[in-house]
Amino acid sequence: MMIPNAMVDEWYPVGLFSQLDVSGRKTALMGEPVEVGRDAEGTVRVTSADGRMLPVCVRYGHIWTSLGEPRKPLFAIPEADQLGRRLVDVGVVRVRCSPLRAVENFLDIAHFPFVHTDILGAEPHTEVQNYKVDIREDEDEVWATQVKFYQPQAAKSASGGVTTEYMYRVPAPTCSILYKTCPPRPGEWDVITLFVQPLAEDLCDVWPWMALFDDETSMTDLIHFQQTIFVQDRSILENQIPRLLPLDPGMEIPTRADLTSVAYRRWLKRHGYTYGAQLVAQ
Amino acid sequence: MKSRTTGSWTPVALSADLPVGTVIPARTPTGPIALWRSQSGGVSAFADRCPHRGMRLSHGFVRGEALSCIYHGWSYAQAGNCVRIPAHPGLTPPEAIRVATRQVEEGDGIIWIAADQSATRPPRLDGLAPLRSLTACAGIAAIEAAAGTDASPGGIVGFANNSQTIRMLVASLEDEQALIHVLVEGDASPPERIAASRAAEALRRMAEHIQRKGIA
Amino acid sequence: MKLYDYILSPSCYKVRLMAALTDVRIDIRAVDFHPGAEHRGAELLALNPAGAIPILQDGDLILTESSAMLVYLASKVDPRWLGGGTAEEAARVQQWLSFSHRLTASLGGARLHEMLLRPGDIAGLQAQGTAALRELEAGLVEQSIRGMRFLASQRATIADIACFPYVALAPDGGVSLDPYPTIRLWSRAVRSIEGFIEMPGIHRLHDLKPEPLPETSGF
Repeated sequence: MMIPNAMVDEWYPVGLFSQLDVSGRKTALMGEPVEVGRDAEGTVRVTSADGRMLPVCVRYGHIWTSLGEPRKPLFAIPEADQLGRRLVDVGVVRVRCSPLRAVENFLDIAHFPFVHTDILGAEPHTEVQNYKVDIREDEDEVWATQVKFYQPQAAKSASGGVTTEYMYRVPAPTCSILYKTCPPRPGEWDVITLFVQPLAEDLCDVWPWMALFDDETSMTDLIHFQQTIFVQDRSILENQIPRLLPLDPGMEIPTRADLTSVAYRRWLKRHGYTYGAQLVAQ
Repeated sequence: MKSRTTGSWTPVALSADLPVGTVIPARTPTGPIALWRSQSGGVSAFADRCPHRGMRLSHGFVRGEALSCIYHGWSYAQAGNCVRIPAHPGLTPPEAIRVATRQVEEGDGIIWIAADQSATRPPRLDGLAPLRSLTACAGIAAIEAAAGTDASPGGIVGFANNSQTIRMLVASLEDEQALIHVLVEGDASPPERIAASRAAEALRRMAEHIQRKGIA
Repeated sequence: MKLYDYILSPSCYKVRLMAALTDVRIDIRAVDFHPGAEHRGAELLALNPAGAIPILQDGDLILTESSAMLVYLASKVDPRWLGGGTAEEAARVQQWLSFSHRLTASLGGARLHEMLLRPGDIAGLQAQGTAALRELEAGLVEQSIRGMRFLASQRATIADIACFPYVALAPDGGVSLDPYPTIRLWSRAVRSIEGFIEMPGIHRLHDLKPEPLPETSGF
């Protein structure tokens, strides 16, 4: 099957490496069934329905593949190799929404007081101060920096409210990395990612993953904190109309707080990354 | 598009199912709406989509005289204009940010939505009182077949249940579904009301059976 | 009292909610249900051979059924939650407690399938879930005709707490709550009870709080 879309040559997560056993995993990528398994030597294999061996890469806790021919290796997260970080496999959550809507929601902070009430935000601290957004031409990535927000409980390790600083990075159309000030280690950034596997234009499997400095909290509590946050978002994502992300500027109204989303949509459009997008208003 | 049974007005909900300070979803022939009642009691009908990020407004919340979206808290007055964007507390939202509104009327315990700007008033119920609303996976024809009678010009299908006559105000929805508002005499006793509710359940089962078998 | 708990489990939430409403302190022992499948590990199977959570442990009492946990908390702290002033009310409490297992099997099964990729006949689960919601709606209509806001009585009982979570989370499994006006009123009544707590997927009722004064001064 041909997907008339530049996104076909990108890498996508198709499973947790730690969860792959001999029985393998049947899943899908952009409407095409794929099977993840291991051969006799233990090497990870991903095959398409027509028997093609697809490119494979195992990184950041996940198995990655592509239906096309990736022109570059999977994006780098240098912090992932830093000593002393806890690497957290959060596990999959399926959402009936566009993979691009899932990423856009991850880039948004203004919803914290209403959707992640008393955890990532709370009234009356709803103001989004100005921050910087740019599309970095060398890396070809969307970046938002100097993002600040008041949070009642920014992380499992946080006690009491703090103003947290964030940086957001979009290195691939369905992946985003969030860098967040790290309460136990001032000067370092916690890394929280959202890896989205597009099953269809309006259905995705979301694989959050984290690399944190936190020696106190149990692994299970770290997983549950992130699952809590994402499942709070899920009921929003399943109720946005239309399901596809509108790239027509007339369809939705952004404000200054939405500059990251504006840049993300512009970047998607520029590259023809439109799997899960709606180009004209319907 | 006009409903076959009730002219340009669609009965979308019972007044009792929309208490003060709440919002509920409703379906009309021209699309989904968020129906809400302000603290002072006024009912408004909005297109069920926040113009900011497309979130359904029926998932939102009512404070005072405004409806807020659950996603980012954008608030809208009854006229549909945006009055608050919490991310920018100092900003007066531009006039251009507004939700499409629909004409709404309330009478005899029923909330009605007009298909277009209607000069007429919705029909009256003449001493009948609404009991409950239920959705059937059956079209009006199947409901009429189950009741053994056609809908009146006012959109009411009546049927006998023991000594009681039960009336249903029926509005058709898309996908061969219908919204049934069960009506009883204003002075019906609690046991009669419970009997009417059970009879309407039985009639829905029959209508859905007819719909599935394609008998109607 | 120790609760083996998973934050995304509606059955575990019943117990957390009951404890919050009765102001009982419980120690939470988080179980890595997903993705770790810790509930099927040796330590938890020793407590519940069925390999399910929640598990409530108090001294040598081990409970593995959420309805029994609700009975235990209510009996210990505030028996008004047990309902049962009359024979009819006592029977209604039991009726809806038993009914709640159908919600778990249908709506809960659909939710696990749609959200956490568990196998199952999704169309069948959703159809059974819709049938259960219709039954609940009809029951609540009759209660409201009798002048009662809750499933068994004028005040909430363990029957309401047993049914509320899977109903409120039905949309997680692709089952819409839009067609049920009386369930909506009941759900709002449950969420308005003093001491109510949420779980992921159930949003805060922001309308219960007044509009805050804007704070523009920055941080």
